[in-house]
Amino acid sequence: MKGAGIHGKVAGSFRDPSGFLFYKDGELYRQVNACYKEQNVHFMRSGLYSYLVDRGMLISHKECDIGMRQSEEAYTVIKPELLPFISYPYEWCFSQLKTAALLTIKIQKAALEFGMSLKDCSAYNIQFRNGKAILIDTLSFEIYQKGKPWVAYRQFCQHFLAPLALMQHRDIRLSQLLRVHIDGIPLDLASALLPFYTWFLPSLLFHIHIHAKSQQYFSTRSVKVGSRSMSRLALLGLIDSLESTTKQLKWEPGRTEWANYYEDTNYSLSAFENKKRIVATFLEQAGSRCVWDIAANVGIFSQIAADKGMSVLSFDIDPACVERHYRNCLERDEIRILPLLLDVANPSPGIGWQNCERMSLFERRQADTALALALVHHLSISHNLPFENIAYFFSRICHFLIIEFVPKEDSQAQRLLRNRDDIFSDYTQLAFERDFQKFFMIEEFRNVEDSQRVIYLMRRKDS
Amino acid sequence: MKRKIRIIFMVFCGILFSSKNVYAYLDPGSGSYILQILIGVLLGGALAMKLFWSNIKLFFKNLFCREKKQ
Repeated sequence: MKGAGIHGKVAGSFRDPSGFLFYKDGELYRQVNACYKEQNVHFMRSGLYSYLVDRGMLISHKECDIGMRQSEEAYTVIKPELLPFISYPYEWCFSQLKTAALLTIKIQKAALEFGMSLKDCSAYNIQFRNGKAILIDTLSFEIYQKGKPWVAYRQFCQHFLAPLALMQHRDIRLSQLLRVHIDGIPLDLASALLPFYTWFLPSLLFHIHIHAKSQQYFSTRSVKVGSRSMSRLALLGLIDSLESTTKQLKWEPGRTEWANYYEDTNYSLSAFENKKRIVATFLEQAGSRCVWDIAANVGIFSQIAADKGMSVLSFDIDPACVERHYRNCLERDEIRILPLLLDVANPSPGIGWQNCERMSLFERRQADTALALALVHHLSISHNLPFENIAYFFSRICHFLIIEFVPKEDSQAQRLLRNRDDIFSDYTQLAFERDFQKFFMIEEFRNVEDSQRVIYLMRRKDS
Repeated sequence: MKRKIRIIFMVFCGILFSSKNVYAYLDPGSGSYILQILIGVLLGGALAMKLFWSNIKLFFKNLFCREKKQ
């Protein structure tokens, strides 16, 4: 049970008193509390739920017997559609975060048409299913009260606008601030980090810079929001402005070490084709449904798995690679691959309250098969990771492992050793096999034609 | 520049606010709430202009299309 906390409650589901997620007999349910009854009835009867579900904007659910309830506060219990994998905003590339932001705005606009409004808009409420962004929190809506400003405006700016603006205008890697700040990037921090010229961009001036000043100014003052309310037109104007601001934010992946990896590789064409065939054969032998491609680059090998009908999570450390891969998937309408940003040497930890609100990589669904191609030499030589540690890592995330051994004589390994002392006397194929066999059984291995590399198919010992 | 913005902001706030508290499970942040009310006037006006302008464009587009058809 992923992320289960006290009494089966999902550990990250405690902020909203409207209800919570819980596990029972291994299945995921959501309890809706009596305090949310009026909102929930309106949500279902107004047609908003059907409108959003029919358009693939909201996760669907089934009503369950009230006997499933976890406490007396329950009004009803629902069973939401289960997603195969939960990803987090700090694992998304620029376009994924932007897509999530635009979906949130689209949902808010639709909600207003049905007399409701989003009462929160956490980026964590958005997930990717079959290549498309989808809202997973059914309890995010409240009945719109005439004149009431948007309660989630600050959250939208912190969760979406601030990171996107920082990624475009300062550095793409600043998306990782979301890993530190679980409720989005504080606007004063975003304002301080953004370049001076962004003060002259009206959208960012209002939504980030003045917004940050406003928060700072009123943080020490007792304020009562006045009888002067916000008209519906003003609210729509604000939402329209947030939408156009988000649309204007753009980032183009430039040339990076990894995004152009295949252009600089030492493979011959025949070696590369042979490698693809070996991987395809091993994938079939493993017979997996869920594949994790670790260090997927722009997803050439992920595609082989996807073409076999497998669902693939493609991880890479380089934001440019993930961005290109995501765009390629969109262009090709490839729904079986989800590219995500991940540093294998520093994978996503558990964060938030008790480090349990957002799950670590290891707490989420495991892979049937992991692909680790052209990776071991980087982990071993660049990160000084012993083979045993690498093998242990893989034994925690997959049952089958398709892994490529790159010998020290290989030009790519030599490149890593170029400017450092070779302290890796144990970096040999023999040592590699010895250490991996502590956790895996070697099912088969094949030499890649026209190269010194070897690809192994391994099975975890307890599988 | 920052000083000017601060002064403008304080003047607006002085004019606009009196009583009534805000309740929600999510802290909207006083500063965020107030800013919305302030900029909402401008942004609502901008949206109204945008819609008005798109209606005018649509009107002429329909007019020319009709003429072409005729």
